[in-house]
Amino acid sequence: MSSIELDHVSKLYANGAYGVRDVDLSIGEGEFVIFLGPSGCGKSTTLRMIAGLEGISSGDLRIGGRSVNNVPPRDRNIAVVFQSYALYPHMSVRDNMGFGLKMRGVGKAVIDEKIREAAGLLGLTPYLDRKPAALSGGQRQRVALGRAIVRDPVAFLLDEPLSNLDAQLRAEMRLELVKLHRRLGRTIVHVTHDQVEAMTMGDRICIMREGSMIQVGKPLEVYADPVDTFVARFLATPPMNLIPARLEGRGDGLAVVGDDLDVPVPDMHRTAYAPVAGREVIFGLRPEDLHEAPQPGFARIDVTVVAMEALGVENILVGQIGGEGGKPVEIAARLSRHFTAPVGASVPLYLDARPMHLFDPETTRAFPRPALRIVRS
Amino acid sequence: MRRVALHFGLLLTCAVILLPILWVVRTSFLPEPLSYSPELMPAATLDNYVALFTSTRYGQSYLNSLIVALGSVVVALPFAAMTGYAFARFKTGGRTGRFAVLATQMLPPVAIVLPAFALLRTVGLTNSLTGLIIVYAAVNLPFLIWILMGFFDGIPVDLEWAAQTDGATAWGAFWRIVLPVSLPGIAAAGVLGFILTWNEFLFALVLSGPQTATVPVALASLQTSNGVQIAKVSAGVVLAVLPLVIASRFIQRFIVQGLTFGSVK
Repeated sequence: MSSIELDHVSKLYANGAYGVRDVDLSIGEGEFVIFLGPSGCGKSTTLRMIAGLEGISSGDLRIGGRSVNNVPPRDRNIAVVFQSYALYPHMSVRDNMGFGLKMRGVGKAVIDEKIREAAGLLGLTPYLDRKPAALSGGQRQRVALGRAIVRDPVAFLLDEPLSNLDAQLRAEMRLELVKLHRRLGRTIVHVTHDQVEAMTMGDRICIMREGSMIQVGKPLEVYADPVDTFVARFLATPPMNLIPARLEGRGDGLAVVGDDLDVPVPDMHRTAYAPVAGREVIFGLRPEDLHEAPQPGFARIDVTVVAMEALGVENILVGQIGGEGGKPVEIAARLSRHFTAPVGASVPLYLDARPMHLFDPETTRAFPRPALRIVRS
Repeated sequence: MRRVALHFGLLLTCAVILLPILWVVRTSFLPEPLSYSPELMPAATLDNYVALFTSTRYGQSYLNSLIVALGSVVVALPFAAMTGYAFARFKTGGRTGRFAVLATQMLPPVAIVLPAFALLRTVGLTNSLTGLIIVYAAVNLPFLIWILMGFFDGIPVDLEWAAQTDGATAWGAFWRIVLPVSLPGIAAAGVLGFILTWNEFLFALVLSGPQTATVPVALASLQTSNGVQIAKVSAGVVLAVLPLVIASRFIQRFIVQGLTFGSVK
């Protein structure tokens, strides 16, 4: 049994500050869950509480249905891979990997067999007699993983294990971890602040801010329906465009109106947003929902080009529109790699408003509307 | 031009530091009557070294110094390691605790030496190597604690966490991971403690007797009614400096060697 349940778990420090506040989450057996959030949001603290390395101030933590609040880390049978890898520098790769089994009194023959197996799986066989100092960053990372695997724990807790790797290696290891999860079928909790890892690796994302878990869901669901402007902006690069505006009634329908902005609300959202009519709102739209070519139903906005970022596969246009009260608002658009425009030029862009969001400027929460899976025309 | 000036400055500094030592080495090989001679090397003899071991108790004192210096380090290091670790990792006693320990180092030795003498006399340990070892261990302990606290502070807590999730107890993580990883630091602290004890004079003078005198006391006793036997004293100083030269080589290696290289990042 490797389910993990956090039942209103909090971490209160002696100075009165909350490290983690009232986290309520149930992680199923074999699930791959991502804790995502900016630095200091409490994701690593939550992970350490699961591991038993941090005490719990209130709430109940259960692993496999058993309350483990007062169970020391060594008796939780959970493996942690640290951001720093935390390899024992005075031990060889073999001894690093075998340390956990040795501590549990496993026989030497079994330890050797398990090390050989894990080393084969991770491509570490030629390095078993080296010390960590003689390994590259990627190899050290694999040793840290290997040390976790050989113990055959009920769950793996990964604390930003890829953040010290270069971009290419990170992409490779991302895939390796997903494969490893499929092969081992163990519960994995992976802490990261990398949106790509969050979107591509996990069954579910848990987004944290200031110690609280503010949204939990499947990656595409969270992407399509963020609960507030923080999630909307945090989950992608470039982040969601947020434009201060006003929701006005227009005939039978609604329109989002601001400086240089007049977007009719699609029929599909009319009922949901009708109660908000007449209020100040924050209009949210992802950069990929802005297009360089007009299509039926798209609204036009004129954007002054601030910068063009050519990424090869696509071009990112960073531009300005007037914004309410004449205050310019910066927006980004993902356009085709063939689109170019000089800095300072005014170009028309066309909005697909179907995946639009409206947020409350006071609370930053999203005004409710039916959940949406992105519809591509 | 700047490099030349820099090297000249460095040479001058080296000369200022090394000349007295070289002069002592030179004097130790001169016959006593020529020891104040202005000539560079008017003669050469080993008589001073031979006389030190045949006509004085220098050999005994040398052995005493070795026993006392090593003994006090062996006694103090385990306490220093555990206290330093507790200060570094668990913040035991907070800042007040740390500074209270350091504050004991700020008392002038002369203020401690008489109470120490009274204490040792009560338990019958004056004029004994055991008494000296205990006193030096106690006197050096705060200094060693502070040095080791710095080393333990530099060991990533992740290492201990990894050991604990791997199945070790807190003590097991300290014993199997922290101690081996901090061995260079512990060795460096040990060497520093050895040097401090080896050089100490006041406590040794008050607490030891003729049988238990250490090297600094033995050197001071070479002052006779006929004046200071400078050539013999020089020979004694050369021999006294030897362990320190060896120790300084060790300490350099330990300190230069990275503590936890390869464990993280």
